[in-house]
Amino acid sequence: MNVLLYYNTYLINMSKESQMRAAINQKLIEMGERERLKELLRAKLIECGWRDQLKALCKDVIKEKGIENVTVEDLVAGVTPKGRALVPDSVKKELLQRIRAFLAQHST
Amino acid sequence: MDNSKMEGFAQEILSDLVEDACLGLCFEVHRAVKQGYFFLDDTDQESMKDFEIVDQPGVDIFGQVYNQWKNKECVCPNCSRSIAASRFAPHLEKCLGMGRNSSRIANRRIASGNNTNKSESDQEDNDDVNDNDWSYGAEKKAKKRKSDKNPNSPRRSKSMKHKND
Repeated sequence: MNVLLYYNTYLINMSKESQMRAAINQKLIEMGERERLKELLRAKLIECGWRDQLKALCKDVIKEKGIENVTVEDLVAGVTPKGRALVPDSVKKELLQRIRAFLAQHST
Repeated sequence: MDNSKMEGFAQEILSDLVEDACLGLCFEVHRAVKQGYFFLDDTDQESMKDFEIVDQPGVDIFGQVYNQWKNKECVCPNCSRSIAASRFAPHLEKCLGMGRNSSRIANRRIASGNNTNKSESDQEDNDDVNDNDWSYGAEKKAKKRKSDKNPNSPRRSKSMKHKND
């Protein structure tokens, strides 16, 4: 009996948490903050040369597969993992600060 | 939601944003490749060497000597006089009767009739009014407006300053 009780409590808390996340995500989008964060990230990534680095990686994929045959999937698969790793820590830090601030303000 | 869960959530949001950025780039690159403009700004090494920026004294970034023409002289096609290169453009302006100043001076001579009193003090004031060089009608209007100007305006005193230079 006890185990079931614990399990149920766990499930209820889980769904409360996912409800909260969903609510915050919605606010993020509706208030335009997600779009602003996207723009900020884009600007920072261009500034620090990340975009150019990734374009160079793309060139390798293209040369490998050939201009005629290369697909979006080829590029995504070939470039995204490195792309994630190449984001500078300072950029991540700045974005995280803003996100945390938003979460603190809007999670009740 | 406690702090560690908040932090996890924040990381998740960041991760999504980075993923968006990567995907966006891939789509842009893919389109550029298929539309044929991705490799447009690539040049071969040899051509790059031909146009490298020059950093030597006495020479501009293209490698040309830049005060070569300072002391040269040109022959005016109108009056056949030999004029220094740096004075050539203003000379042509007056010589051919084109440009703002030559029409202004010409008008003043006409307006003052046989009176050789050439007043330069109003040149600054009429900058905008005399922009319409090619229409005689506009210049007639300009005469009228000149007399309407406020004699005490600050601009007048500015042109007085120029007269004394």
